[in-house]
Amino acid sequence: MAQDETRPEAARETREAAAERAAIAVRPEFRSNAAAGFEDKVFEMRGIDVRYSGVAAVKGISMDVGHKEVTALIGPSGCGKSTLLRCLNRMNDLIPNAEVEGELLYHGEDLYGPKVDPVQVRKLIGMVFQKPNPFPKSIYDNIAFGPRILGRKDGLDETVEKALRRAALWDEVKDRLKNNAFGLSGGQQQRLCIARCIAVEPDVILMDEPCSALDPISTGKIEDLMIELKKEFSIVIVTHNMQQAARVSDRTAFLMVELDAEEHNRWGRLVEYDVTEKIFTNPADKRTEDYVSGKVG
Amino acid sequence: MPDSVRVHYQVELENLEASALEGLDMVNVALSRTMEAVEHQDVELAQVVINDDDRIDGRYLEVHQSLITLLATQSPVATDLRLISSLLHVLKSIERMGDQCVNVCKVIPLSGTEPPADAEMVKLILTMGGHTRTLITQSKRAFEERNVEMARDLVRRDDVVDNLNRECFHLALAIGDDADKREWAMTMLLAARAIERIADNAVDIGEQVAFVVTGLFREFEDASHPS
Repeated sequence: MAQDETRPEAARETREAAAERAAIAVRPEFRSNAAAGFEDKVFEMRGIDVRYSGVAAVKGISMDVGHKEVTALIGPSGCGKSTLLRCLNRMNDLIPNAEVEGELLYHGEDLYGPKVDPVQVRKLIGMVFQKPNPFPKSIYDNIAFGPRILGRKDGLDETVEKALRRAALWDEVKDRLKNNAFGLSGGQQQRLCIARCIAVEPDVILMDEPCSALDPISTGKIEDLMIELKKEFSIVIVTHNMQQAARVSDRTAFLMVELDAEEHNRWGRLVEYDVTEKIFTNPADKRTEDYVSGKVG
Repeated sequence: MPDSVRVHYQVELENLEASALEGLDMVNVALSRTMEAVEHQDVELAQVVINDDDRIDGRYLEVHQSLITLLATQSPVATDLRLISSLLHVLKSIERMGDQCVNVCKVIPLSGTEPPADAEMVKLILTMGGHTRTLITQSKRAFEERNVEMARDLVRRDDVVDNLNRECFHLALAIGDDADKREWAMTMLLAARAIERIADNAVDIGEQVAFVVTGLFREFEDASHPS
């Protein structure tokens, strides 16, 4: 407000600019663009190439990921969805001979910068995998594991309860927190893994086919959970289930496999990225249309 | 690209489209007979049209049910989803067109076996019927060919039908003082109005063509805010 008093003309400009933006936002011809725009970006990717032992896995991926949105990556097997997902929390660092090139900004900072600590990255950008992978410990200790590693000693009970509540699991396990996590059903185990992920207060949750090993009821619970979680976290999900992408995501990126002239080498390429509604009702690219319609796999 | 999959689903959707659009051929037959019944005051032929409308309604119900099943079982998206949505609209238009033919045929017996027909007004109505049949044929072709330009041209043709309908109205006003003749003219105005609505339904089908092709639904003409 101090700025307003010292530079009233600047404040007026800002108000006028805001009024103009608001006017644009409600004009129907701009509505689709307004929907397509990002309010806030969590990731900005420019020309991302990933190679394993010199062999390209994905090439030239440029896309942004919105803050507190669900972004789905879809595409046929081998198109590089998981590879791309693993770039986002530097999981590819753990694979020998994996190289990531291009610019990948996280909240405007270079994620692959020399001063960036990959461990800190993975605390802020958590991951949930296809197969639930609880530790062979109690439910309580699974959730408390991350906070303990980070040196937390106090308030662990509250942290565990909060994480389990946010993962919509609390009511089902509150009376058996000391039981082994392996005693939970597959769907409960997956929600436990999500709770374990959010117990360290991440900013982003990456999900690599989180429901492919689950029954429809458990899948529905995880999908409901994603819609709740995006109020607090940004979510990027890789899924083979296109209806799941359509149900839960705000934006969808379609990747497909590209072959070289000799058909010796194959890599993933981003074909289309847009708001999910557009991808599933009126995609711009014929290849997207054929894939989401299930005409080609 | 790998070979196409979901071939059965694609074939079924194509068959359902063809089946729905065949409804327009059925309407064209009904409209031809309706015009013949108007021209010759043929009460029996009018009754045939009324009875045969069950076939158009049957087609509507049959294809409608199959499209709902396809929605429930195949989760169509993108162009397929737009096509199914538009076919549901097209079916409704076809069913309405059939009903309008029935409406015309129901008024034919009201004016008796030898009505005080005005030749000029009958000619106008037959001309409206001819133009409307062209609109129906053109709407079907535009849908089959996904031809938005051809669909937009339906508006121009519909304007001709609208003008003929207005002419009918003026003729009815000027038909004279004879009570029987005025009653006949009023009855024929109802017929003209029904035919004019059939032409509007053909334009509605044209709007669905544009939706299937572009993904945007826009009325070609806004009846409440005409340009």
